[in-house]
Amino acid sequence: MSSENKDGHRIPGGKKAGITGSSVSGEPANPWLERLFSCRLIFVMGKGGVGKTTISIALACAAERMNKKVLLAEIGDTDSIGRLYRDQALSEAPRILTQSIWGARVDPKAELEAYVRAHVTPGFIAGKIVRSRLFEYLFEATPGLKEVMSLGRLWRWEKEENNHAGATYDLIIVDAPATGHAMSLLRLPDLLINMIRVGPVANQIRGLQHLLKNHQKTSLVLVSLPEELPANEAVEFYSMAEDTLDMPVAATFINCVYPAVFNRTDLQLIESIESSDWDFSFSAVSKLIASARILNRRRIDQLKHIEEIYAKANGHVQEIPFCYTNDLTINQIQELSFFI
Amino acid sequence: MLSCIKDPDGPKIIVCCGSGGVGKTTISAAIGLYGALSGKKTIVLTIDPAKRLADSLGLKKFDVDAQRVPVENLIVCKDSATPDAGLYAMMLDAKHTFDQLIARYAPPEFQKKIFKNRYYQHLSNNMAGSHEYMAMEKLYEIFNQNQYDLIVLDTPPSRRALDFLEAPQRMLNILGHNFFMRMFKPYLKAGKWGIRFLNILASPVLKGVSKVLGKQALDDFAGFMQLWDDIMFEGFSRRATAVKELLAGNQTLFLAVATPQRLPMDEAIFLSEKLLLNEMPFGGFIINRVNFSNSNTEIQGFDSDKVFAGTRIDPELKEKLISVHNNILKMAKNDARSVNHLIEKTGSGNNVLQIPFSDSEIVSLDDLYRLSRLFE
Repeated sequence: MSSENKDGHRIPGGKKAGITGSSVSGEPANPWLERLFSCRLIFVMGKGGVGKTTISIALACAAERMNKKVLLAEIGDTDSIGRLYRDQALSEAPRILTQSIWGARVDPKAELEAYVRAHVTPGFIAGKIVRSRLFEYLFEATPGLKEVMSLGRLWRWEKEENNHAGATYDLIIVDAPATGHAMSLLRLPDLLINMIRVGPVANQIRGLQHLLKNHQKTSLVLVSLPEELPANEAVEFYSMAEDTLDMPVAATFINCVYPAVFNRTDLQLIESIESSDWDFSFSAVSKLIASARILNRRRIDQLKHIEEIYAKANGHVQEIPFCYTNDLTINQIQELSFFI
Repeated sequence: MLSCIKDPDGPKIIVCCGSGGVGKTTISAAIGLYGALSGKKTIVLTIDPAKRLADSLGLKKFDVDAQRVPVENLIVCKDSATPDAGLYAMMLDAKHTFDQLIARYAPPEFQKKIFKNRYYQHLSNNMAGSHEYMAMEKLYEIFNQNQYDLIVLDTPPSRRALDFLEAPQRMLNILGHNFFMRMFKPYLKAGKWGIRFLNILASPVLKGVSKVLGKQALDDFAGFMQLWDDIMFEGFSRRATAVKELLAGNQTLFLAVATPQRLPMDEAIFLSEKLLLNEMPFGGFIINRVNFSNSNTEIQGFDSDKVFAGTRIDPELKEKLISVHNNILKMAKNDARSVNHLIEKTGSGNNVLQIPFSDSEIVSLDDLYRLSRLFE
């Protein structure tokens, strides 16, 4: 008995798993991906727990195969990327993770310190500011300061040539915080420009605004699940992205989709099997049938939500198969990246 | 594990915590239903509820004011609820709650100013911890109104699981210190409130900061801090202490809700440890969407000719059936491993309630009722 499919997903090159959407046909011809990767800054957005980190890494792997140098940047409190790659948190300075993938974690506070030191002279005053309690409080309580600093870091990575060890990143993939927080992050330049009109921060904000709204340079990618809340949120997100952010969604990834293993004939057979005249005495067969029905029922539930997303999505929609695991490893994510 | 809710002397507050996307809101609603059906007047406080959950309760939508679930809707549940028992639902809204607080603590002549302050506008809606703080605030308010026998709080989905516990204190740390004003005061030019502004030139530090942030931002900030210090700080800080006492008291029970995936599980474990460390009353884990296997046997090693003898299933379908079955078994095994890991790590075998995957899909009050029966 073949067991090539025992991990629940197939490696492309083998048989198609029946995942709908675009089929995987060798490496090069993939126009939507080429288009996506022509942007330099990609924000991977989505509700908590939908698999933003997984998709961020998978995108980086796909880009690496297209000979791109990638920076994976993490914003927020979790250390998911670092933990997946080498069991330790990433730092503010990009570190090399694979041959052409670098990883970094955006630390808004370190950023602000560097900022103060760069803009305030003489140096001892800057030092005094950074060490003062006032600085602590302003950092915590100033609306949007953390966000501006985080965005500023991304902006500079985008601007810099020779980012790291002589390499210039072709792509910066940002594993964004959960939607609500990420939205306020991306809206911030618009809000702040009205609050802070002059000074170095204002200049930085203007630069940011230009970068974020430059559709040739910056793209949003949405990750969702074929479940009620994530699908609803995805549907809302498209209009918010367009109207509020003016940052269209270039691609949507629907994560954890059960593969369509059975074709219509199979399903008819499976549904009719109890009433048939077959010898049903082998309990093993009934268990197999029960499992098939479980999968099919879940798939039907998922399809409803998948269709909702397709109906509203702008840009490409890509389904990513469920992996039958509670704890994806980096190797599994690499395999998943072939579905992109 | 939750039958203590029925006890007349049982907990008065149930706090459901856990990461986003694990079905916390649904579980909270089911606990609420369970409480209401056991004769307690119950309110569920929830954030960002699914439309479908409102539908299933027979409510048009969740609102910031308490709404009663129509009694006739509860008749589908076979229990005989006592006449005064009722199920209520209320949606939490950070901004709304914050505004109410200002209305309570600030003199009327200042309220307008506060509402207009840009710092306030941002703070009430966006600052890390403000949603958590407001959830606790609302909980405290409703508890003190003493109108309900049971309050079920669905906490905001927060990646830092304990934000909601530390939220009141953190808000105070950020906003509350009088010495902050003392730091500013020497640089405040005299005058009535509203026309006082920072004399930034008098302090090199402020000057440096204003260079980076802009003077206007600093002025707004100072204005808000001054209002805060003069008018609201005391009320808020008394309140924060009281909220903390309430949460640590024996009328409260915390539950950690998770699904078997690694991140939610890690968060639930972290939460329970932190609660125990803080001597907060921890009630146990609810693990949602657990796959159970319908057989213990892997079909892999079977002689497929024998298994399928007498059936007309073609070889390709046989192969598919076996692989699907093995995958379904694999999910069950993975989930069992996750749950065992949780039990080992926390030593709380009796305090883990597993909700089968098939029971977690809620489309009607019947489904919610079925779910609530699992709490027995």
